[in-house]
Amino acid sequence: MDKAALTAWLRAATGWADLAIGGMALLSGGAIQQNWRLDATAGGRVHAWVLRTDAPATLAASRSRAEEFQLLKAAFAAGVTVPEPLYLCADRGVIGAPFFVMRRVEGITAGHRIVRSETLGGGRAALVAALGRELARIHAIRPPREELRFLGNPPLNPAQTYLLEMRNALDSAPIPRPMLEWGLRFLERNAAPPGEIVMCHNDFRTGNYMVAEAGITGILDWEFAAWGDPHADIGWLLARCWRFGGPGEVGGVGPRGPFLAAYEAESGRRTDPARIAWWQIAATIRWAVIAIAQADRHVLGREPSLELALTGHIVPELELDVMRATMPGAVL
Amino acid sequence: MTRWDGTERPDAAGLLEIARATLLADIVPKLEGDARFKALMAANAMAIAQRALREGSGAIDAALARLGDPTALCAAIRAGQADNDAETAAALLALAEARCRVSAPKAVG
Repeated sequence: MDKAALTAWLRAATGWADLAIGGMALLSGGAIQQNWRLDATAGGRVHAWVLRTDAPATLAASRSRAEEFQLLKAAFAAGVTVPEPLYLCADRGVIGAPFFVMRRVEGITAGHRIVRSETLGGGRAALVAALGRELARIHAIRPPREELRFLGNPPLNPAQTYLLEMRNALDSAPIPRPMLEWGLRFLERNAAPPGEIVMCHNDFRTGNYMVAEAGITGILDWEFAAWGDPHADIGWLLARCWRFGGPGEVGGVGPRGPFLAAYEAESGRRTDPARIAWWQIAATIRWAVIAIAQADRHVLGREPSLELALTGHIVPELELDVMRATMPGAVL
Repeated sequence: MTRWDGTERPDAAGLLEIARATLLADIVPKLEGDARFKALMAANAMAIAQRALREGSGAIDAALARLGDPTALCAAIRAGQADNDAETAAALLALAEARCRVSAPKAVG
C-alpha cells in the first residue's frame, strides 16, 4: 500500500491539507475484498475509518467497490445503520485497486458469539426487534433509482427468477442433486404470485451485522443486494441454517414475534407467513447451491482449502432440512 | 481369531481416530487465533472421514438403489413426474439422512 499516494488522495478528497495517516492495519482479508483499519489525523482530530478495497488476486468479483459505495449511500440515506460511506476512489493508480473509505464502527460479528449472548444489542428481544426495523428501512428503498441503475431492471416475478437461477446453477454443477431438485419443484408448485418489489440485502443474517452491547452498529456485506421480494430477506434471516446453534428462530438470536412486529410497525407492511415459509426453503436451497459452488473450487482443484472442503459437507444437512419441509402433504 | 484381510492395524478409521484425539488433546490447547481455528477445522474434517469409513456406503447405496439413475431422477422431478410421489420422497429423505450420518450426525439425532 502506497501511503504517500493515499495521503495525497485523501487530502484532496477531504480538503484537509494537514491530513496524515496515523496507523493502518489489515482487519480482514477475504478472497475478494480487504478491509484496512485506517486512522487519520486532520485539524487536530483523529478519524477512525475503514478502507475497503479489492484483494490483490481478485476474481471475477461480485459488486465493484463503486457499486458497493452507492449501495451503502442509499442505505445510509434510508436510515439503515451502516458504516457511513465517505470517499470513493475509482482510480486504480492510487493504491493499485479501487477503494472507498467509510467510518469505522465497533462491535462483534461472530455468529457463534452473538447467539450465545443474553445481553448483546440490549438482549434477545431488543436485538431481533432492531433487526426488524433495520430490514424494514432497507426495504423502504424502491425501484427505480438512477444511482442504483447497475442493479438492473427489477424482476417481474422474483420467485420465478430465483427458481431459474437455482436450476441454472444445478445444471452447471458436476453432480446431480435430487433433494435440491425436489425442493425446487415443491417451491415451483407452491409459488405465490409476485408482490411488491423492494431493495433486498440478500445476505441479511447473523454474521453480517455488527452489534455492541447497546445495539446494532452496522449492517454489513452488501455485495448481493438486488431488487426482489421483501420476504426473501426475512426467509434468509429465519432459515434454520443461519442460527449458529442458537435458540432463536431469528438468526439464532431470538423469537420471530418481536422481529415481525417491529418490521411491520416500521414498514407499514403486513408479512405473509406462507411467503416467509416459501423463502425459508428457498434460502436453504440457495445456501446449498452456494456451498456446492464454494466446495467445487476445492474439489475441482482450483483453490485447495480446508475451509472450502468442509463447506461441501454442510450440504447434506441442508438437503435434510429441505426434505423435511417438503414431504408429500406439506403445506407452507 | 478374526479373519485377517492382509492390512495392518489399526485400520484407516482407527488411525484417524487417534490422530484426531491427539490433535484435540495435545495440539489445539497450545494454539490460538487462526492456527487454533484451522486445527479445529482439521479435527472436524478427520471426524467426517472417520464416520465415512465406519458407516460405509450401505445406507446411501440402499437409498440410491430405490431412486434409480440420479440424473434421470433429477430431470423427472423437474418435469413434475414425481410430484407428491411418496416412495420418491421417502427414498430422498432416507438418502439425505444417510448422507447426514457422515457429514452432520447431529442433524439426524
